This record gives sequence, structure tokens and C-alpha cells, in this order.
Amino acid sequence: MKRLVEVTINGERHALALEPYRSLLDVLRNEVGLTGTKKGCDVGDCGACTVLLDGKPVNSCLVLGVEVGGCEIVTIEGLQRAPDRLHPLQESFMQHGAAQCGFCTPGLIMMASALLAENPQPTEDEIRFGIAGNICRCTGYTKVVTAIQAAAKGMAEGGK
Amino acid sequence: MRVVGTSVKRSDVIGKVTGSAQYAGDVRLAGMLHGRIKRSTIAHANIKRIDASRALALPGVKAVLTHQDVPRVLHYGAPHPRSVSVTRDQYILDRKVRYWGEGVAAVAATSEEIAEEALDLIEVEYEPLPAVFTVEAALAPDAPQIHDTAYSGNLVFKPVVITRGDVAKGFAEADLVIEGEYETGRPTPAYMEPNVCVCQWDNTGKLTVWVSTQAAFMVRGILAEVLGLPLTKVRVLVDHMGGGFGAKQDLFQHEFLCALLARETRHPVRMEYTRGETFVGGRSRHPCKIWLKQGFRKDGTIVARAARTVFNTGAYGSHGPGVTTVGTAALTSLYRCENVHLEGRCVYTNTPIAGAFRGYGVVQTYYALDIQLDEAAERLGIDPVELRLKNAVREGDIAPSGHPLVGHGLEDCLRRGAQEVGWAQLRRRARGDSGTLRRGWGVGCEMHGSSAYPGIKEQGNAIVKLNEDGTAVLLTGAAGLGTGAHTALAQIVAEELGLPFDDVSVVHGDTDVVPWDIGAFASHTTFMVGRAAQIAAGEVKKQLLERAGEQLEVAPEDLEIGDGTISVRGVPDRRITVRECMGPKLGLPAANILGKGTYTPTKSYSFAAHFVEVQVDTATGQIEVLQVVPVHEVGRVVHPVAAAGQIEGGIQQGIGHTLTEDYVVDLATGRSLNAGFVDYKMPLAMDMPPIRTILLETAPDPGGPYGAKGIGEDPIIAIGPAIANAVYDAIGVRFRHFPITPEQVLAALKEKSSGSA
Amino acid sequence: MRRFEYHDPASLAEACALLAHHGAEASVLAGGTDLLVEIKEHLRWPRHVIDVKRIPGLAALEYDDRAGLRFGALVTAREIETSPVVLEKYPGLAQAARELGSIQVRYRATVAGNICRASPSADTLPPLIADGAAVRIHGPAGGRTIALEEFFTGPGKTVLAPGELVTEVAVPPPAPGTGKHYIKHGRRKAMELATVGVAVALTVDGGTCRDIRIALGAVAPTPIRARAAEEALRGRPLAPAAIAAAARNAMGECRPISNVRGSAEYRREMVGVLVARAIERAREAVR
Repeated sequence: MKRLVEVTINGERHALALEPYRSLLDVLRNEVGLTGTKKGCDVGDCGACTVLLDGKPVNSCLVLGVEVGGCEIVTIEGLQRAPDRLHPLQESFMQHGAAQCGFCTPGLIMMASALLAENPQPTEDEIRFGIAGNICRCTGYTKVVTAIQAAAKGMAEGGK
Repeated sequence: MRVVGTSVKRSDVIGKVTGSAQYAGDVRLAGMLHGRIKRSTIAHANIKRIDASRALALPGVKAVLTHQDVPRVLHYGAPHPRSVSVTRDQYILDRKVRYWGEGVAAVAATSEEIAEEALDLIEVEYEPLPAVFTVEAALAPDAPQIHDTAYSGNLVFKPVVITRGDVAKGFAEADLVIEGEYETGRPTPAYMEPNVCVCQWDNTGKLTVWVSTQAAFMVRGILAEVLGLPLTKVRVLVDHMGGGFGAKQDLFQHEFLCALLARETRHPVRMEYTRGETFVGGRSRHPCKIWLKQGFRKDGTIVARAARTVFNTGAYGSHGPGVTTVGTAALTSLYRCENVHLEGRCVYTNTPIAGAFRGYGVVQTYYALDIQLDEAAERLGIDPVELRLKNAVREGDIAPSGHPLVGHGLEDCLRRGAQEVGWAQLRRRARGDSGTLRRGWGVGCEMHGSSAYPGIKEQGNAIVKLNEDGTAVLLTGAAGLGTGAHTALAQIVAEELGLPFDDVSVVHGDTDVVPWDIGAFASHTTFMVGRAAQIAAGEVKKQLLERAGEQLEVAPEDLEIGDGTISVRGVPDRRITVRECMGPKLGLPAANILGKGTYTPTKSYSFAAHFVEVQVDTATGQIEVLQVVPVHEVGRVVHPVAAAGQIEGGIQQGIGHTLTEDYVVDLATGRSLNAGFVDYKMPLAMDMPPIRTILLETAPDPGGPYGAKGIGEDPIIAIGPAIANAVYDAIGVRFRHFPITPEQVLAALKEKSSGSA
Repeated sequence: MRRFEYHDPASLAEACALLAHHGAEASVLAGGTDLLVEIKEHLRWPRHVIDVKRIPGLAALEYDDRAGLRFGALVTAREIETSPVVLEKYPGLAQAARELGSIQVRYRATVAGNICRASPSADTLPPLIADGAAVRIHGPAGGRTIALEEFFTGPGKTVLAPGELVTEVAVPPPAPGTGKHYIKHGRRKAMELATVGVAVALTVDGGTCRDIRIALGAVAPTPIRARAAEEALRGRPLAPAAIAAAARNAMGECRPISNVRGSAEYRREMVGVLVARAIERAREAVR
């Protein structure tokens, strides 16, 4: 039986009628039309589906749509500061070659944004620990780490 | 060079970092149904009875297909039809299953949950057949024959035999003969985007397919052939795709089934693999056994090499013949040897299908070759780098493709890497033999060709057109797997045309629009399509300079272009911009300038030497890679950041191959034991070492654009033997297989300390 | 995913009533990081999912020197991992929480869920057992408390009766002179299920071991106390020979199986290596 769920996604209020067995990932992709968040494994092993749920990075494949009533969700589509102003992480991922096929990229950027919100000046070890739940099969993580370091530095210098 | 050689901002990446990039699974169409495949739970059996009636009765189920409902056409599964690399042994759905997990039926329903429930309602009665899970069992005289189409027994194709010189004479002259058996496991590509396609028929009978594939024109061709359609009635669209690493060259069962379900239901249908299905229904690397014997003179020269390789292709041939041939033929080279005798075999077993995967047979054979080189170095008392330098292939040597090599790329890599890590001092360093943690250094080398020549006669095509404002468009069929290929191609066009990089856009991914392309694999995109793009741009440049010459009233030969401006050579004031040249003028229409390029390459070879430090915990057996210094010679670096990215990613896969990745089946039943990321262990961010990439351009190949060669597959080949050799340096134990598990390390250490070497 | 009905009771009584009513057809949903995986992988198909996150009073995390640590059933692994008092007083538990899944999983996964799922390789179980934890259970018949080491009856099996829910975990305060350590052995550094888990809580008096508790995970049908190993050290000087004896005893007490993650022989051997290491590290961590 469907439930009415009121949730804020990327700053916009939505009222959704949801089957209880649909994951937040499937709801975002199929019912809200936000396909930026990706399904890499659907069982919480890869991090490609990472979104922010009340500011916390979670695997949206392991959250039910009906669990997020009253919550605030931010997906990759909502990370930008303004339509023409990318988040520093988005800029630095582009600049440093941290995205190849790009499938892990949204989840990785969302996780990195949470990491930097909690720890604005992480060491390399802290970065690697922070993204340990995000699988990337293309980059070997070298340039991902560089991009996160560069974004952190830029955010510290330039202010938020 | 103004554009080539610079890490320009990649044109495809902004969509990826903002989430707007569309992948096949992001396509949503009105009325779209969800398709799922029912998979066998037995490794080898005839299907006695298959009954979908209970599934069809489930509300929401719109169609079910079994072998009775689909065209019975034997197809190649893999692209490049009628090439020697692939095998024609697959039906869309057969009356027989040949491995645990093979698809036996497909369902389309209004939701994924209903489609999944429907699978359990399809009844299948199997008549079990004896199954074989190892190549030994498959080659035994009484082994069940898995395919009627096989060459003989369970041999997929006629064994490949390669002979040069006189190997018996060579061995007779040798001062040292080394022989060994090497074995490689079953890693899988594990791309992050599961296989997915969406199919829709329109009311003219035309099929549109959105699909995650490396070979859009192959998908088009095979679907058209199997469905009995002209090519104008099949359109394949690939915008972004989330990795393939070679495996997504094949057509998978679901692509046919998706098209058929869409036709049957008259609705668009999406079929997406679960992660588990990317293992069970995907393509792994070919497990391989290699017997290798070499003869050396005491000065280190290799005088003879004999090898027998056996590749396990699983239940269907896919790229078995190509992998076997390329992998075996690779043993004629890397380290030069005049007397060679090689035999390569490819064997069916009732296990998951092995297919094309980055490195294509050479990962396996060079693992053996480069470990044995190290063994020989020790026995001969020669430094491992010196021994490799002594035997390294060089300019003029005949490569496995039959062509002479250009330059001294391998030697350059070895020398540069040895210098970078201080190899000589490392070899002389004092060893502490006490302590639980032991460190070691090793080197591994490779060479790999860009293009699949001569197995496949490939062709790269490009069209370049110039807009009336002086910007250019490149139309290419080359696939964008995420390597940055389209950016590199645009850089080449910009360089050739003398335009700023941002003035070149790329149109790709629609088989109705772009020129035919064989697909992105064999490390050939930059080399082959890049050259075609360069040729096309060259044609455009010629026409452009002719037009400018008329306008400036000079001969076109006296003109040059740079930064979007055409000027008279030596007289910079006499110039016009490309925009001015192209644009409409009073009374004259805008120009229509189009260039076409086709390139049928032979082959170029890139080289690499990886220097690796490892640490072994002798109490737990765990091996950690501490640092990697990969040195790659690629002729010309088009985009330095993208090139380094390919290397670092390939190293992640190679470390996984060597230490932790293995897709295993139960040897009693053939059931998959680790079809998921929980137990298929890839190195993650905390497991990856620092990587100090070095790119060399010392042996450019004139066949490539600006001398550029390939890079995609090289890194995954060199890293494995480098790790194995470093482990030997650390603990004095020689492993001749991968993956090397901690248990095996402990067992080997015990054996060593108990006296038996 | 499979289809199910969803309930989100507003009280403990309502939750227990729903669980009792639906029996084997119901599963508890807290973090969801185990349940939803099991449903998707067809290991479980509850027709009724009972979400307990609306129940008040289950989210607190408190410490005092008399009662020790108490945390409710909805406290997540991430809260445990980052709690200053847990890091200080229960470092083995913090370490285990830190290595559970990924950060994304830990922001949802509850420690109570980790306990109730009762996987033999669960990360939080050995340190909680080594620290002497107990769980508070609420059910239709009322409440009861049980020592964690008596909570498990087999792989995935606990003493919970139909209708019962774990509401709180209580861990005694550490005695002065105690050091704790947890080692998770796996095939890589993160996103791993333990092939062997070793937790040690060691209380010393000078160079003598006053008390020691050793708990092992992933090497028996349930997490176990390695009592014979403890006996080799309790009341004795912490000398290498005694530590080695403890390690050997632990090897004899475990009953590992072979599977795709590791063979029984290797796991047994690692118990020996890692018990010795964990004791050393616990000793270094004494405060």
C-alpha cells in the first residue's frame, strides 16, 4: 500500500506516493527523475548511490523511500552553488582528471562533500579512509585524492 | 604542439560531475517495462520442459520468452563477425544450458519487483548432463562435449602454433635451461555500470537501442542480422557509459532478449543486470595455464623459448580464439628470441564465460615470461634489469603482429625506471632477515599493440566539418568508455586545424549519424581513430587554405594556421581568422567544408616497465604494495592527465588480479561462490599505493597521429610480474601464479624454512 | 527487491505486538543495512517490515563512571565510532565500529542491529563481549537483561523470542589499568567482513595481568570467549611465554570453517598470531 511521503530534495519540497519496498535510490531515479545518482550494486557495497540525508552521507539503495519523510536530501544535482557556479569539488574533479567513466563520480563527490564538511583539512590518509566505501574501477584513486585535496585547499583559501 | 600534449578540460566530464550525463540506464520512456532473466541453477543440462504459464498469469507480467519463442540463430555473441578472434556458438536462448547461471528465459513486467517474482514462477525441468569444471577434465578422453560446433572435443578452435627459427638447436646451445608452469586465475572487469539496455520499436518497424557498449556498430550489425533487419532499421545510441574494459564488446543475452521483449509487448523495455549478473552473465578474464621453457647463454642472451598455453574460455567461446592467439603470439616478443615454438589452446568448460578483458591474453603470458626472466637472472647471476635490457626488443625486431618495431621503447622504460628508483643501490642494500615485515623491490615489463591487427582488419573513420563561424565538428563512431578518447580526438583535430581546443566539438554515439567504427578496444582509439581524425582534419585544412588563399590572393602553400588565424608564412600582418574566411559575405554563401578520413592501421607497440616495492607480513602472509613507479613509452602523449589516469586505473586492476581478485565457482557443482562485491575483492582507496607515473615519448610511431600509440591495456600487464618479483625479493619465495593469497604465502614460507626450497 | 508491507509503530508496545502478531513473517527495520541486503539477495522475504525508528527513548548514548556505557537500540555505528567517551573508554569497540562496512553504512547501521543479526563475523560483537556487555530486551512478557556472550545460539540465531526487541546495550565501566584492542583480519583494509576478529580487554597491575577477557569472531558458529586463552594469563606476569601460551590455547578453542574468505586452517593460525598481537596492543593502550 502506498504511503504519502513529504520530503525536501535539493531544496525543493516533494509530496510522493510511494510503495514501501522502493529504495530511495529507485525513487530518486525513477519517480523524481533525478538520474544523477547511480546504481552500481544495489546492496551497499559500492557507494555509487551516495546521497546526503539530513547532511549525512548514506547509500540510498539501503534506505527506503518511505523512511525519509520530513528529511532533507541532497543529490549530485543539488550540489552546485548556483546554476553557473559549480561546487569546488566538481571543479577540481574536472581539473585533476578524477572522473573517467564517471559512473562512481556522483557518489564519490557527495561522499567527499560530506567528508570536507566534517573535516575541512583532511590528511591523505583521512581522505582515503573517508572514501573507502566508494569503489572506482577506472582511476586507481590517485587523482581522486588529488582532486579532494585541491578542493579542500581551495575551500580553505577562498572561503565557502 | 599547441593542443596535443596539454591536459585540456575534458568535454565529457562536466556532465559526470553534475549528474546530467546520460547513461543507458538513465533513459526513461513512457510505458517502459522492466525485463529480467531467469538463470539456470545447474551447470550442464538439457531443458526437458520449460513452462511460463504461471509467470504469465501474474498480474503485471506482459511477456515471457523461452527458447521456444526466440529465433534460433547461431551467432557470434561477440562483435567482429567473421573475424578469427571470436566464436560462433551462441543462441539467444538454447534448449541446453552450459553453465550455472546461463539465461533460460526472459520476462517483461510493469515493475522490477513483479518481473523478479515472475522468474520464480517459470518452471524448468532439467535433464542433467555430466559437467566439467577444469581444463584437465574437459580435455580428458571421455569428457562430455559441450558444443557441437567445437573444433574437436572441447577445443574451441584449431590450436595455434607459432614457430620461428630452430628451437631444438637453440636449447642445445643453451648454458642454462629453465622450465616452469605458471597459472593465472579468474579476475573480472567489474566495471561500475552494470550492463544495461533499453529497446524501443517504432511503428515503421525500426528498433532503437540505448545500450552500455563499447561497440555500437557491432550491436547494430548483430541485432540486424539475428532479427533479419536492414541496418537502416536498427539505431544504436550510446551517450555515456560506465566502463567496459573490453568485456562490453560482446553482445550479451539480454540485448537480444530486450529487443525481442520490446517487439512482443509493443512497449519500450529496459533490462539491467544486477551486480551479481555482471559476474554470472558477464565476461571474465580467461584463466590460463602456461608451460614455459627458455634457454639462456651464460651471458644472458635468450637462445630458445618454448611454451604451451591453455586458456579456459568457460561455457562459450566469445573471444577465446583471439585471446589465445594474441596471448600466445606475444611470447615471440618482449624479450627477443630467434628460436621459438609456441602452442596455444582454448578449452570449453562448464563455467562462466571468459571474454575480452584489458590485456587480452597477454596479462597471462607475460606474467609467466617476466617471472621466468627474474628466475633466470638469479640463476645466471645477472641483475634483473640488466638481463631485460640485454634481451629487450628493439627497433627493427619483428613484433607479434609481423611488423618491425619502431624505436627502443622498452629499453628507455627500463633505464628511466631504474634510475628513478635507484635500482642499483636497491640491489646492493643490506637485508635485515629478522623482523616480521619484509620489503622487496621488483620489476615487470610489457609491450602491447594498439589495434587488433592482424586478427581483425580494423578501420577507423572520421568526418570533420567546419561551421560558418570557424568552429569544427568531429563526427566519430568511437565509443566513449570514459577514457577521455573523445577529448583526445578533438585535441588532434584542433592541432591539425590550428584551432583552439574549445572550437572543436565532438558528435558521437548515434549509429544513424556517425561514421562506422569497429568499437573501442585493443588500445586503438587514439592510434586508429585519432589518425583517421587527423586525416579528415587534414582534408578540411586543405580546403580551408585553398579558400583563404583565394581571399588573401596567395598560394595555399604559403599559408599557415594557428590559434584560429590563417596568415601568410613570414608575413604575419597578412592574415584572416578562420571565422572570417568561412563566414558568408555579401553575395557569397558560407562555405561547406567537409573532410573524411579512413585509417586501416597495422599496429604500433607501446612499452612499459613497472618498478614496485612490496611489504610482506610473514606472520599473516599479507602482501601490501607500498609504491609503484610505472614508466610508459607511448610515442606521443595527447592528454597527460588522461594518460596517467589510464595507467593508475590499470594498476588498480593489476594489483587486484595479482593479490585479491578471483571469481570462483564450486568445483563440484559449478555454482558461483562470489558473484558480488562482498567477496570479489578489489583494491579500494585505502589499499592503493602512491603511484609515480612517468610518460616517455622516445619511440613515436609515424602510423599514429603525431606519433601517438596506445596506452589503455599496457598498465595492467606489467604490474603483475613486478609484484611477484618484488615478493621474491622480499621473502625469497617464488610464486608462479596469481592471485597470491596470504595462505599461500604462509604455506610457502613454512616450506622454505623447513628446508625444502 | 521483494514486495512487503511496512509499519512504523510509535511505541515499544506497539512494535512488540506487531512482531508477535506477524511472527516469522515480520522483520525489524532499524538501519536497514543488513535487512534490505538480505531481502534483495533472496535470503529473507519478510511480508511485514517493522520500522522501529519512530519509537522514542532508543537513541540515547550515555556514560558515567558507575553504570558505564549505555546506548539505545537506534544508536548507529557512526555515533559509536566518533563518540569521545567510547574512543576513550572502549577503544576496541570504537575500532570495531570504525571498520564496519563503510561510512555510508555506518551512518545507518545500528550496533543493536549488528548484534541481532548475529553474524559470527560481526565486528562489534567481540569487543562488546570482551568488555562484558549486556543487552536489555523488551517483549510482550516484559523486560529482561542478558549477558551478550549468552545472547547468541548459532549463526544468525539469538535467544530473542517472537515479539522481543533489543532496546539497549550496557557496558560496564573499565577498571583502572585497562587497555583494549580489536583486530579485524581481512583481505583488504576496508569494506570487509572479518575472516578473523580478535578483541582483548586487559587489566594490568605492574607487569602482571590482573584480568583479561578475549573474544573471538568469525571462527565459530557464534562469537566466543577464549577462556582457556584467558586462563593462561589471568593472575600471571605478562611474559612472552605466557602470551604465546594464551595464543596457542585460543587456537585450540576456536572452531573455524573453510569458505571463500579463508580456510579453517588459516583462520586458526591467524587466531594464534592475532591474539598475541592484540594482547600486546592492549597492553600498550593501558591507561
